[in-house]
Amino acid sequence: MKKILLCCAAGMSTSLLVNKMKAAAEAKGEEVEIWAEPLDKAATEIPKSDVVLLGPQVKYALPELKKIADEHGKKIEAINMVDYGMMNGTKVLEAALKLLG
Amino acid sequence: MANFMDKFTKSLEEKLMPLAAKVANQRHLAAIKDGIIITVPIVIIGSVFLILAALPIPAVANFYATPLGATIQKWLLYPVSVTFDMIGIITCMGVAYRLSEYYKLDGISGAIISFVSFLLVTPFTITFTHEQYGELTATGIPLSRTGSAGLFVGIIMAILAVEIFNFIVKKNLVIKMPDMVPPAVSKTFVALIPGFIIVLVSLLIRIGFENTGFGNIHEVVTKLLTKPLTAIGGSYFGVVIVTILIHLLWTCGLHGANIVTGIVYPALYVLLDENRLAFSQGKPIQHVVTPQFFDIFQSMGGSGATFSLALMLLFWAKSKQLKEIGKLSIGPACFNINEPILFGLPIVMNPLLIIPFILAPLAAVTITYWTMKLGIVAKPTGIAIPWTTPPIISGYLVTGGKISGAVVQIVNFFVTGIIYYPFFKMWDSKKLQEESGEI
Repeated sequence: MKKILLCCAAGMSTSLLVNKMKAAAEAKGEEVEIWAEPLDKAATEIPKSDVVLLGPQVKYALPELKKIADEHGKKIEAINMVDYGMMNGTKVLEAALKLLG
Repeated sequence: MANFMDKFTKSLEEKLMPLAAKVANQRHLAAIKDGIIITVPIVIIGSVFLILAALPIPAVANFYATPLGATIQKWLLYPVSVTFDMIGIITCMGVAYRLSEYYKLDGISGAIISFVSFLLVTPFTITFTHEQYGELTATGIPLSRTGSAGLFVGIIMAILAVEIFNFIVKKNLVIKMPDMVPPAVSKTFVALIPGFIIVLVSLLIRIGFENTGFGNIHEVVTKLLTKPLTAIGGSYFGVVIVTILIHLLWTCGLHGANIVTGIVYPALYVLLDENRLAFSQGKPIQHVVTPQFFDIFQSMGGSGATFSLALMLLFWAKSKQLKEIGKLSIGPACFNINEPILFGLPIVMNPLLIIPFILAPLAAVTITYWTMKLGIVAKPTGIAIPWTTPPIISGYLVTGGKISGAVVQIVNFFVTGIIYYPFFKMWDSKKLQEESGEI
């Protein structure tokens, strides 16, 4: 089971994307756990995940969170703006899986 | 022109991105922001009781005028008091907790030591006037210092205490327990020496200020910080600056509101609480600008006041892409979430659409500010509601059940719509041309 954590300011708009990604995962037959959290929970949630995706609107937090992610050996990246705006679950899921290698 | 705008947005990003990262990642500002977020649910719970105690229904108001009704109203106001009147303390503990977490210190120890140091610099004398005996003093924790009036002192003591805590722990001046002692026990001992020093420092602050003309730190902070900051934050000038800043950050794709709140919200919470106090005492409400002014009136439909734009996209867009965004964004827009519009349309880094994106919220805050200031529209009462509350309902609720609060939102809806319309048309026809392969 691959665990994907999404983070944005309040965890609101990323939770929209979570649903789209779950649907995309189901269509692909991929076993994943995806959830969304606000930025202030990121530090405590990162260790529970395999890969972390940040909403593009909080990419300023990337350098700071990358330190935490690196400590725990987790991958972290900001989501592509266009994919985020179009709530493209398939593409964002692909990006997450690609990061996991 | 387009070329110039491209360069403009590019240089904006280059300049704003590092600044945004600096502000958002600055440990004290981040702790203040996250600490204040902790108070939000508490203030919303208090607001529910505040709404119930002041229901804008004539039958209920008549009931509250009866002896039984007055008792029930009094009961309903108890939870209002223990929530609002404690925001200074809750913020102090919240900020301390978050800052301790940042330093990887025990959060609850940091919060409790800060709470104690806050109380230590707070005078325990309450002066009041008795009908028969005139002016008297009593001993107790004064509610007038634990609420919003103590907010800045709370933040200062939290930062001071946790900084001392961190300094001493990092210098390793702590009592170490042998390994067989349970971690929960040894943690409390780690906090012992820093706690002692923090109490000592707080005591010196208390004694120091007692020997000046001010009497205590609260008086100084009120004069030097609270008054000036709330005066700027509550002014039209302050509103315009904050609105421009939030939306400039957003045009680079950065969550402007999230970055700015750490700096701006402490002052606005003071104004919110002063309004709440006036409202629950039936006095005229003074301040226009509270956190809800921005959440509810500036950001109707999300940052950029895009609620009207969302409906245009849904019903009037001719291009496939914009229609799709319309369908995607209308649901979240009802709850003031608009990332699909910001990143999908997109508005972010889009030289054409950032013009209305900055003008529309500016128009909304200008209309709201001056109609409230001039008394045409009811001011926000200090009732706090979640920022995700749908438009129209939200305006009605934050003004304490005044129709004018909803009406100004409807006016804003049309004005922002007029501002967005020509830009929406241009963008839609550009997309349509792209789709039909004309470009």
